Amino acid sequence: MGAMADRVLTGDRRAAGRLISEAERREPQALQDLGILYQHGGHARTIGITGPPGAGKSTLVDALITCFRKQALTVAVAAVDPSSPISQGAVLGDRVRMMRHADDDGVLVRSMATRGALGGLSTAVGDAITIFDAMGFDIIIVETVGVGQSETDVVGHCEAVILLQTALGGDDIQAIKAGVLEIADLIVVNKKSAPGSDRMARFLRESLHDRPARPDGWTIPVLMTEASEDIGIDALVDALMQRFDHNGAEDRVSVTRRRQVAAHLMALADVEIRSLTQRLVSGRAAPEAWQAVLERRSDPWTLSAQLFEQLR
Amino acid sequence: MQTETQETPAGNSQPVRCLLGMLGTDVHSKGIRTIAQLLRDAGIEVIYLGEHNSVKGMARAAVDEDADLVGLSFSSAAYVTYTRQLIEEMNRIGAGDIPVMLGGIIHPDDHAELRTMGVRGIFGAGSTTDEIVAFVQSMGRSR
Repeated sequence: MGAMADRVLTGDRRAAGRLISEAERREPQALQDLGILYQHGGHARTIGITGPPGAGKSTLVDALITCFRKQALTVAVAAVDPSSPISQGAVLGDRVRMMRHADDDGVLVRSMATRGALGGLSTAVGDAITIFDAMGFDIIIVETVGVGQSETDVVGHCEAVILLQTALGGDDIQAIKAGVLEIADLIVVNKKSAPGSDRMARFLRESLHDRPARPDGWTIPVLMTEASEDIGIDALVDALMQRFDHNGAEDRVSVTRRRQVAAHLMALADVEIRSLTQRLVSGRAAPEAWQAVLERRSDPWTLSAQLFEQLR
Repeated sequence: MQTETQETPAGNSQPVRCLLGMLGTDVHSKGIRTIAQLLRDAGIEVIYLGEHNSVKGMARAAVDEDADLVGLSFSSAAYVTYTRQLIEEMNRIGAGDIPVMLGGIIHPDDHAELRTMGVRGIFGAGSTTDEIVAFVQSMGRSR
């Protein structure tokens, strides 16, 4: 028992890769290993990167890795891409942008598919963070799928969430619609050489200025980068460090930790609830009641109430 | 009449994870991109590495990504050398059990040597997409 956890703790990357796959399958043995590893964690700094498709998320991750490695910090990345809702297959392509770190022992990249999870992440992202943290990585970066306006799960898992925007992705109104803008701890306008970037950054600053102050006292910076040229990355890393310092203040630590635990719990609960729901609605749980709806002697509202009564 | 909604497989099933990439200076990526989409549509999780990978980087990726198999595409003549180097590197880092398959322009005269090295699947110009998908599917968690 705990053999995989022991191997992961010695830095065995094969075991780490295998354990993430087992966590994705929710194998009972893996959950025990994760429990052991969880007790060894709590040291890594966690960064989430989210933003619309094509904003340059993977390229920014690549540039951040370069910058952190110059400071001799080790970096693990969980890069999430969507699974096909039809075939369940996926093409996980984020790694292509991070190839210059392929030979670096201080960098580990794991590609993950969403496998039906909503919210822009894989259900096992929290588990991957637990594993990387226990292995002793200094920095853990989570890259979400290209988000729309409701994929906000990254927030709980990471203490610094970067929202990546470009001037190319729609007009000002898109930027202030409810959703991902509200979850950002830092906003970055990437591809800053594109026309309209300065205007976009100015507009975002003004929008933030008009909002009420955050309860945690953090002021959201708006930065500009050209990630493919490593431009603006040093300033972004400085801002990330300030964010970590802010979270490290006495009264903030427990809030951040609590939020991370809640996000992890929610991800785990989602899996349980989803499989429970699927079993309930499959027809096997109450064949007679199903048949009654099919023959219109009953109705979906009544059936739903009957099925979920069992859960309360 | 269909009365049951589809139930997801319980817990322990997982899509096959297949690393796909090209080694060295080979740049003809059209074939490998086509295969990536084909495998995705067949329910495979493709970890796409694209072109210009190093032997060390690709072996490392196979480990970090917990790949069920590694697929290489070649359109240059150096495939025997590159494949040998990759398999040696995978053995060196303890990933020798991960199967390797080759696609692209592979001369029949080289098949025996590649098989001896440990290459599990070879898919040249005459291979059908069904053959490739069936082989990749068979490399799943049973190994």
